[in-house]
Amino acid sequence: MFHRRAAPSRREMLCQAANGFGGLALLSLLREQAGAAAHHPARAKSVIFLFMDGGPSQMDTFDPKPRLKRDHGKPLPFQPPTTVFNISDKMLGSPFTFRRYGQSGAEVSELFPHVAECADDLCIIRSMVADHSEHTAANYFMHSGSGFQGRPSIGAWVTYGLGSGSKNLPGFIVLESGLIPPGGLDCFGSGFLPASFQGTLFRSGEHPIADIEPIDKQPGLQRDKLDLLARLNRGVLDRFGPVNEIEATIANYELAFRMQAEVPDLLDFSKESEATRKLYGLDEDLTSAFGRECLIARRLVERGVRFVELLTPAHKGLDRWDQHSGIENGHRVNAKSTDKPIAGLLKDLKSRGLLDSTLVVWGGEFGRTPCAQFPDGSYVKEVGRDHNPFGFTMWMAGGGVKGGTVWGATDEFGYFAIENKVHVHDLHATMLHLLGMDHTRLTFRYSGRDMRLTDVHGNVIGGVLA
Amino acid sequence: MKRALGLLLTLAVACSADEFFEKKIRPVLVEQCYACHSAQSKTPMGGLRLDSMGALLKGGDTGPAVKPGDKNSLLLRAISYRDLNLKMPPGGKLSDERIADFTRWVEAGAPGPTQVAAPAAASSAGLDLERARSFWAFQPLPPPDPKRTIDSFLRAKLKENGLDLAPAADRGVWIRRVSFSLIGLPPSPREVNDFVNDQAPDAYRKVVERLLASPHYGERWTRHWLDLVRFSETNGHEFDNDKLDAWRYRDYVIRALNQDVPYDQFVREHIAGDLMPNPRLTPDGAALESPLGTSVYWFGEVLNSATDSVKSRADQVDNQLDVVSKAFLGLTVACARCHDHKFDPIPTLDYYSMAGYLHSTALRYAVIDSPARAREIAAAHAGIAAHNESIRKLLASSLPVRSDAAPTIREGDELFAEFDSYDGWDLTGEAFRPGPRREVPPNQPLKGYTGESIASSFGAGTDRLVGSVTSKKFIMPKLWVHVRLAGTKTGLALRERAPLRVTVVADDHPSQHFFPDGSPGFTWKSIRMTKEIGRTCYIEIVDRDRGGHIVVDKIVFSDSKEPPADPPIPENAPIRLEDINPTLVSDLQARRAAIEAQFPHSAWGMIAGDEDPHDVSVHIRGSHKNLGVPAPRRPLQILTKTVPKCEGSGRLGLAQWMTTDAAPLVARVMVNRIWRHHFGRGLVPTTDNFGKTGERPSHPELLDWLAARFVESGWSVKAMHRLMLNTEAYRQSSRVEATASQIDPQNHLLHHMPVHRLEGEAIRDALLNISGSLNRDMYGRGVRPHIGKYQDGRGKPASGPLDGDNRRSIYIQVRRNFLTPMFLAFDYPLPVSTIGARTSSTVPSQALMMMNNEFAAEMAKRWAGKVAAEEADPVQRVEMLYRAAYARLPEDWERREAIAFAEKRSWQDLAHVLINSAEFIYVP
Repeated sequence: MFHRRAAPSRREMLCQAANGFGGLALLSLLREQAGAAAHHPARAKSVIFLFMDGGPSQMDTFDPKPRLKRDHGKPLPFQPPTTVFNISDKMLGSPFTFRRYGQSGAEVSELFPHVAECADDLCIIRSMVADHSEHTAANYFMHSGSGFQGRPSIGAWVTYGLGSGSKNLPGFIVLESGLIPPGGLDCFGSGFLPASFQGTLFRSGEHPIADIEPIDKQPGLQRDKLDLLARLNRGVLDRFGPVNEIEATIANYELAFRMQAEVPDLLDFSKESEATRKLYGLDEDLTSAFGRECLIARRLVERGVRFVELLTPAHKGLDRWDQHSGIENGHRVNAKSTDKPIAGLLKDLKSRGLLDSTLVVWGGEFGRTPCAQFPDGSYVKEVGRDHNPFGFTMWMAGGGVKGGTVWGATDEFGYFAIENKVHVHDLHATMLHLLGMDHTRLTFRYSGRDMRLTDVHGNVIGGVLA
Repeated sequence: MKRALGLLLTLAVACSADEFFEKKIRPVLVEQCYACHSAQSKTPMGGLRLDSMGALLKGGDTGPAVKPGDKNSLLLRAISYRDLNLKMPPGGKLSDERIADFTRWVEAGAPGPTQVAAPAAASSAGLDLERARSFWAFQPLPPPDPKRTIDSFLRAKLKENGLDLAPAADRGVWIRRVSFSLIGLPPSPREVNDFVNDQAPDAYRKVVERLLASPHYGERWTRHWLDLVRFSETNGHEFDNDKLDAWRYRDYVIRALNQDVPYDQFVREHIAGDLMPNPRLTPDGAALESPLGTSVYWFGEVLNSATDSVKSRADQVDNQLDVVSKAFLGLTVACARCHDHKFDPIPTLDYYSMAGYLHSTALRYAVIDSPARAREIAAAHAGIAAHNESIRKLLASSLPVRSDAAPTIREGDELFAEFDSYDGWDLTGEAFRPGPRREVPPNQPLKGYTGESIASSFGAGTDRLVGSVTSKKFIMPKLWVHVRLAGTKTGLALRERAPLRVTVVADDHPSQHFFPDGSPGFTWKSIRMTKEIGRTCYIEIVDRDRGGHIVVDKIVFSDSKEPPADPPIPENAPIRLEDINPTLVSDLQARRAAIEAQFPHSAWGMIAGDEDPHDVSVHIRGSHKNLGVPAPRRPLQILTKTVPKCEGSGRLGLAQWMTTDAAPLVARVMVNRIWRHHFGRGLVPTTDNFGKTGERPSHPELLDWLAARFVESGWSVKAMHRLMLNTEAYRQSSRVEATASQIDPQNHLLHHMPVHRLEGEAIRDALLNISGSLNRDMYGRGVRPHIGKYQDGRGKPASGPLDGDNRRSIYIQVRRNFLTPMFLAFDYPLPVSTIGARTSSTVPSQALMMMNNEFAAEMAKRWAGKVAAEEADPVQRVEMLYRAAYARLPEDWERREAIAFAEKRSWQDLAHVLINSAEFIYVP
């Protein structure tokens, strides 16, 4: 159980809330200040999760497999596990070339030339393992540690544990540019945690949050309304007596009002320099959408927002990173549209001294198979790869992570993680650890159990900690 | 910790040490395995310990780890990473050298220290059920003392603490409270007025009776019920496919509550309504009610491409068991999936005994006509048949002779169905009765018909018929399915909602569809079973169209992409009867049309059916790949006096058990749920968990008394409402006295009425109501939710109207991936599991929604417009607004403020402020 410094205990408050009473509302409002309840000193204050929806291929990005090139077109020497499409059995060499970068000499493919420049900040985990072969379950799993709808997303857990850190913004914000992953907004839900911890989706465009744009266009009208409302609500308090929820509701209107002001300010890039805009690729068509997300992410972290998740932009004709066919072109476009913005974000955070306190995590819900999917004998240019949760790559940077590291390994085909396996539960445990929380003690009582993000699993990966 | 283990083994080894073991084997075990497989781990994983030779030989849940001399010993298989599902150590494969060491060691007979410390008890074998029965929730109900009242129970406890009930609330407060409580709508100003001025001694009772008699009562309480059964009308997951007929369950619950169907009957219908010998009928007598209860099994999430059918089914059953056991029994049975329940007397064996009932049960979209209605339909069908028979006789000599040539079945083809009979298929509705046809009715020109028998929903000659035939489950064997079919063109884009189709359902996901295209004869349709091959599938042929039909000749599974070659089409085209005898034909056609015009309608339901009844085995550690002892189908041992008979799936026996052996618990759980909705907090606050980890009742005698009264009343839910609402406790003010709040700050003793916030649905309904917009139509297919620009993702439906056609919120479709944002903002529960007590949080999106959302603004506009049209005087207007919104008159200062504001800004703006006030969404 999570322990707060002040009485009543958090469990008591949440139990009351779960029964429709008590101070949850106050709780969510009063716990805006950071780090209210860490278990141990935190290395990171915020997380930026670059979620690569669809599942990028490890052997085409950060985990070179010469054997596949050598044996391209030959059948795998073993019976592969059942995959979604179940029609891939011939090896597919990566069409991309790899080079070593930085002092660490980490190998990165030609897809990520800009990110590669930050190689010495990256901790590349080549031995990720997940439990599901299919997008929706895998997305739920990567976000909530369960393959089913209804568990709290990691961002909700983190905000539940640490509070928002911002007076004017929610603690868990998801940025998108036209693509919501399979499984929908429940990937960012609060599950059985109170709704105040759910991810708030920021859409692209001028008004990123639902109902953030004041409906009252006449000058001063909304302020007049809120002033009258405040007077009426004080009357309600007199009438009902001191009721926590009503006090919280009154404060809630003021928070909403502040959010209305804060959000336009957040999106106002006019004070960002030309160099910064270029750094994020805002000046190029292909990179501007994700560049915008990355720049907003930095600005959110500056404002204390706890957990920011970025979703990959939509490209016509491409199904996210999910290239069952046409992987060469598909991965090129996906990588190109994110490479410069991500590198820009890492460099910008570093130059502002924010990288040390910001944990950046990159990866998809699973990786891809070493085999080509040759549906009905299509052309080599058209081949793709199927889903593979048995071994794939993610990387972390900043926030207490050991940069310039490659952790774990897959077999020579890139199919199975075989060395220093990192299960998704382990990743979650490690992320919480870096934020100052013990994943076994961050719990919420539901359905007769103290529920955890990591269920009954998870180990902190010592080898990736700085 | 390594040291402690070392010590343990050092002692053991002192007697007989083998050098190889000491140097090559033990250090690896200690380093790689002991964290999970030794005395040091609290519960050794998989029940396996490797810290003694005895333990190694004994093994864990899957059997001995080491069989001396056997190269196939589990331990060796695990470390060699040969098996897909057994790879140890999990962090990475050992070096080849080490694996070779282990292999040599096992082959050499696994020599090692024989003397070992005695192993601790392996697991929590054997629960003491007798002792566990003494737990409060499993006690029988004492007979209810007729002299006691709810108030007397509450007062007794309050008095012990020097407290008493609070004084009565204002009448206006009370009627608003009870109106929201029972019907989810605010009282009208007139209702408030009548009640406030009613000096009769039974004034309160009359209001309760009026509200209980309102049809809106069923709507309000159905929403509470739907929270318990994770009600959803779509499958979620990637494409959010429709659950056809889910809405009929919602209507079933509304009717059941309004009719006050005895709760024990209601419970039994949920478990086995499809199997009841005397099912209830709808009020018009046309359809069966009872089977609709079994919709409860099917509201869960459905994977659109499960890669492992067995696991997918096990997960589905787990969710079903979780919901059924929490909703009715208040027990977390699902906790016993992988191990004996850690706290409650529910062994894993019981979990799989209960799971067996569900594994023997399948989803059926079925026609649920009453026997009387089915007879009417059969009679109408017979009328059609008679007319067509007359025509056939006239034509006998001229009808074309059919060749009997069948399509060529090739090597690699597997003929799945040719419809010689419907053996092995489930029939529902009239359309496909009485069996496959060899005669095509004369009013059905069917090019390419060879005279082979066919599955036809055209029956004896009419499109009016509806029904379906459903195959048994099978494992999809081939990559291609070819269907030779004909019929009326249908909407391809509708997918599973298309009324005419052949559907391959894979793991309960409507995965692939073959549609008739309206061409005049048979055509082959072919679909590649990319995702379906190897999975558990069934095929259904569906006709839900009263103006169309479908005919299926053959279903062929094949290795080949190409369908089998068609047989030669008979040369002689059908003869047109009109050419022979136009007068007779028009006469017969007119008579047929008359029957068709009166053709009775059928009702459908998403219900359960028995299929392949069987016991399942215990899944060790919850894994379907690791089976243990068989678990005979029977209910939870802790609550069972007599094990019910198990015929078919056995659900009928389970249903009986629920309301006999388990009745005391079932009654306690339900009265507690009702209490929770009226008084804000359950007597057992953990409404869905009456087990050890749940909270104990604050008033155990009261809970038992209520439960006993409930059973005594014939399980009447309305009687419970009367009992709880006609009390001083329910009439209390919500104002807290200072002393009371010090003695009992959480109000566990109920020394005042807690203030509670309305749910999103009630807020929306109240807005519709006060603005004069509320559409009081009941029942039927739901209104599509309004989809704003902030909702996106796959399976996004076309948006419904902003005001939801002004229907009550209960009639807004529950689309799993597109839940209504306004409801979500106010803590609407995800349709995942049983939620008896919603949370109530306060988040900015609520304020933003009420301030800036176009729906709220539209309601304010309509409300202000309505009041302005009815009343010109500002003072009166403000009073009207206050009475509608808060069931009271404004105070002087409020009136002054309101008028000043309306004059400075507008009445619409004032209305907007009033609905944003805390008083609008909180009920004292």
